[in-house]
Amino acid sequence: MIRVEHLTKRYGATTAIEDVSFEVPKGQVVGFLGPNGAGKSTTMRILTGSLGATEGRATVDGRDVFTDAREVKRRIGYLPEVPPLYPNMVVRDYVAFAGQLKGVKDPVAAAERAIARVGLSQVGHRIIEHLSKGYRQRVGLAQALVHDPEVLILDEPNSGLDPAQRVEIRDLLHDLVEDKRTIILSTHVLADIEAICRRVIIINKGRIVAEDDIERLGGEQRTVTVAVARPGDAAVAALRSVAGVSAVVDEGEGRLRLTTDGDRREHVANAAAPFGLLELSGRARLEEIYLRLTMGANP
Amino acid sequence: MRNILAIARRELSAYFATPVGWLALSAFLLITGFFFTALVSLYSMQSAEQAFSPYGAPDMNLNEYLVAPFFGNTAIILLFIVPALTMRLFAEDRKTRALELLLTSPITTTEIVLGKFLGAMGFIAVMLACTLHYIGILFYLGDPDIGVVVSSYLAMFLLSGAFVSVGLVTSSFTENQVVSLVLGFVMLLLLWVLGWAEASTSGLAAEVIGFASLINRMEDLTKGLIHTRDVAYYLSFISFFLFATHQRVEAYRWS
Repeated sequence: MIRVEHLTKRYGATTAIEDVSFEVPKGQVVGFLGPNGAGKSTTMRILTGSLGATEGRATVDGRDVFTDAREVKRRIGYLPEVPPLYPNMVVRDYVAFAGQLKGVKDPVAAAERAIARVGLSQVGHRIIEHLSKGYRQRVGLAQALVHDPEVLILDEPNSGLDPAQRVEIRDLLHDLVEDKRTIILSTHVLADIEAICRRVIIINKGRIVAEDDIERLGGEQRTVTVAVARPGDAAVAALRSVAGVSAVVDEGEGRLRLTTDGDRREHVANAAAPFGLLELSGRARLEEIYLRLTMGANP
Repeated sequence: MRNILAIARRELSAYFATPVGWLALSAFLLITGFFFTALVSLYSMQSAEQAFSPYGAPDMNLNEYLVAPFFGNTAIILLFIVPALTMRLFAEDRKTRALELLLTSPITTTEIVLGKFLGAMGFIAVMLACTLHYIGILFYLGDPDIGVVVSSYLAMFLLSGAFVSVGLVTSSFTENQVVSLVLGFVMLLLLWVLGWAEASTSGLAAEVIGFASLINRMEDLTKGLIHTRDVAYYLSFISFFLFATHQRVEAYRWS
């Protein structure tokens, strides 16, 4: 459905993305991850036709995003990081206007459907600038959905929202996934990616560093941290002897960081118990892989 | 065409949804109203004086003494007001990121530019329509030449089109509406005073300046003389600046 081949974007001497290639099959929901400035938004903007590329090719449903931009744009619903809203417009009028631009036959009816879909029916008559940030994000989603696109590209739909608003947007994204659309979702909330997406693409410093199913990503290596009341060489040796533990690092103050091959938390807990086990935590799998692949990207 | 009209409608309604639109309309009517009243008073006074002249009452032409100066003043008011109307057209969209909606919709850059142009022209049409009652008063009390009135309105509309096209291009170069306003006003003022420089130059320079001047083209139109060359001049002027705006908007995709 979406095919990106050797895409490069340079701004003068600065390279935003370099030789980016990936594919998203029809109906798949993909998480697009990377630190700020890694090139996520640039890639998304190129796919949606609001930015040109220096080199490379991208197609949506077999149509080139540069030479057949009009047809590609008909198929894509895009929510940029900052929703493209007209603050002085009434919600209903704005979504209908977006529908008109996107070639919908009955923009008013389509706007009503999109507004209902994102749970905005009660505020449809209100002026956008009077809405909370969470609601404004929903209005942005409504404009992306108004023409019932096959592809949804969502750039950090939950950035800058408070926890309650984030949960609302996550629930909304859950619903959208059930529509069987092709979705590229960029977010820094890795828990959302794990909950919503089966596959992730990780980009760092303008290059793709990983692309796979979350289950297969990064092999079997995991990190477990334990806190014990009586640390020391004996504790380190006991933990190192656990099958599947490849490294133990004493981080001080009774905390030991273990690298394991697969999920060994039960065995680690048993080995740490004689030394007064206080705490055992394993980092979320995706977070661990993400940090490993992008470490050093942010100061 | 559907997309152009959708954008034009949105832009037109945006003027009525913000204080800027109402302020511009009120200021325009207040100042044109003042000039109209002043011109009518002056005309009445002069007519009365001439009527009692011992040499007999000469014919004081209503078109020459009232209609032409009224539209001359209206043109200057438009010079000040139009940049305030056009300053937001692209600058605000870029600042609020709403432009991304237009750029990622299946519409062309030409449709975006024409839609915004027509939206602003629609508001100016409303402004000019609000001055029709002044002309109605003249028809009620006197006998102005309908041809002069029609060609004067045509002149105002063409001149406004030229002003809007310049405002569009300056708005497309910045996210800051104040910068857009100042740039637009300075550019229009330069093009306006260009005509004055014609008198102090000679030869080819005078011809070029005379050709480029916005005012020179208006004089005949406000006298009721519609020349194809004048209309073509304004249409070419508008097309040139709309094309420049189109190129600038296209460049957004590469910046």
